[in-house]
Amino acid sequence: MSTSIDRWSNGIRARWTALERDWQSVVVGATIVGLVSVLGLPIPW
Amino acid sequence: MGVRRLLPGIVALCLGAVLARWLARVVGVNHLLVAIALGVVVSNAVGLPDDCDPGVATHKLWLGSGIVLMGASISTATVLEVGGPVFLVVLAVTGLTLVVVELLARNVFDLTERLGTLLAAGASICGVSAVVAVAGAVRATEDQVAYAAATVLLFDAITIVVYPIVGDLLDLSGAVFGTWAGVSMFSTGPVVAVGFAYSDAAGQWATMTKLSRNALIGVVVLGYASYYARRGGDGTASVRTLWAEFPKFVLGFLALAALSSLGVFSSAQQTSIEHAYNWLFLLAFVGLGTEIRLADIKSTGLLPAVVVLLALLVGSLLSLTVLSVLF
Repeated sequence: MSTSIDRWSNGIRARWTALERDWQSVVVGATIVGLVSVLGLPIPW
Repeated sequence: MGVRRLLPGIVALCLGAVLARWLARVVGVNHLLVAIALGVVVSNAVGLPDDCDPGVATHKLWLGSGIVLMGASISTATVLEVGGPVFLVVLAVTGLTLVVVELLARNVFDLTERLGTLLAAGASICGVSAVVAVAGAVRATEDQVAYAAATVLLFDAITIVVYPIVGDLLDLSGAVFGTWAGVSMFSTGPVVAVGFAYSDAAGQWATMTKLSRNALIGVVVLGYASYYARRGGDGTASVRTLWAEFPKFVLGFLALAALSSLGVFSSAQQTSIEHAYNWLFLLAFVGLGTEIRLADIKSTGLLPAVVVLLALLVGSLLSLTVLSVLF
């Protein structure tokens, strides 16, 4: 179980590291939009 | 890169962001300017532990992410209404700044050809990012890159302070101030910071204008690479360079602007997204502040600084005049 989780997280990390920084920014932005619009996450200021 | 290596610096950025937000409320100064000042003070007076360096260096990632999210707040109707003339001003001022720096560097101040090129790219397009991108294409030396980058950072620090003062003195509207900052200041971070420090509308105009200017980087790198390759240097030119140097987060910004204008987001969701980009900008600007090293600025050569100052004055005055007539 833990091995498959490790493999999965290593795969994610490898893909993230391979991304250009600009694309990483797009992924971070898309993740936040997903959290806000799909899960309704409120972000305070 | 391991998460553990990044964690100390990211925690430092988060603490700085929360502190900047609190200080801004107490002092009554814009939170983004407080964030930059905090970064400058901490890195120059106390210094950050080396462990923090990798995490603090992520500040450009947070700036890009913040700009992507800002797309959700953009009024595409307004952009389409005045976008054409503003883009012409962007093209004119970018071209003018590039030519003025090249002419002054080569013919008046007798700087080396490649240093003049790096200064021209940094002043006309997007600051240090443009210096680094063009340096790779024209095979500039490390000394030339360091000199040009230090000169650009010097003017980033000066314009962060001077532009809002001039804007207030001249009582410029948000659209004029934002477009003026976006078209004539150098690096993206300081442009976004002074824009939002002036007003929300100014921040949005500053960011949009600066993004369209940044999108020209591929063309400029390609042009310089071709020029130096033809002159017998070992720079290489390729159409692929256009895509390689294109700031891809602009695509995320445009995608969100399109979704927003289609009415995909509710007003509560839009408010949360705005809060998210405000926090991301705070993280980014604390990190940006730590990059402004006063010792490096002092060691900047006088001649490169004079060349860039003259180009900044020409571009800034011309664009302000045109924009005041346009809006």
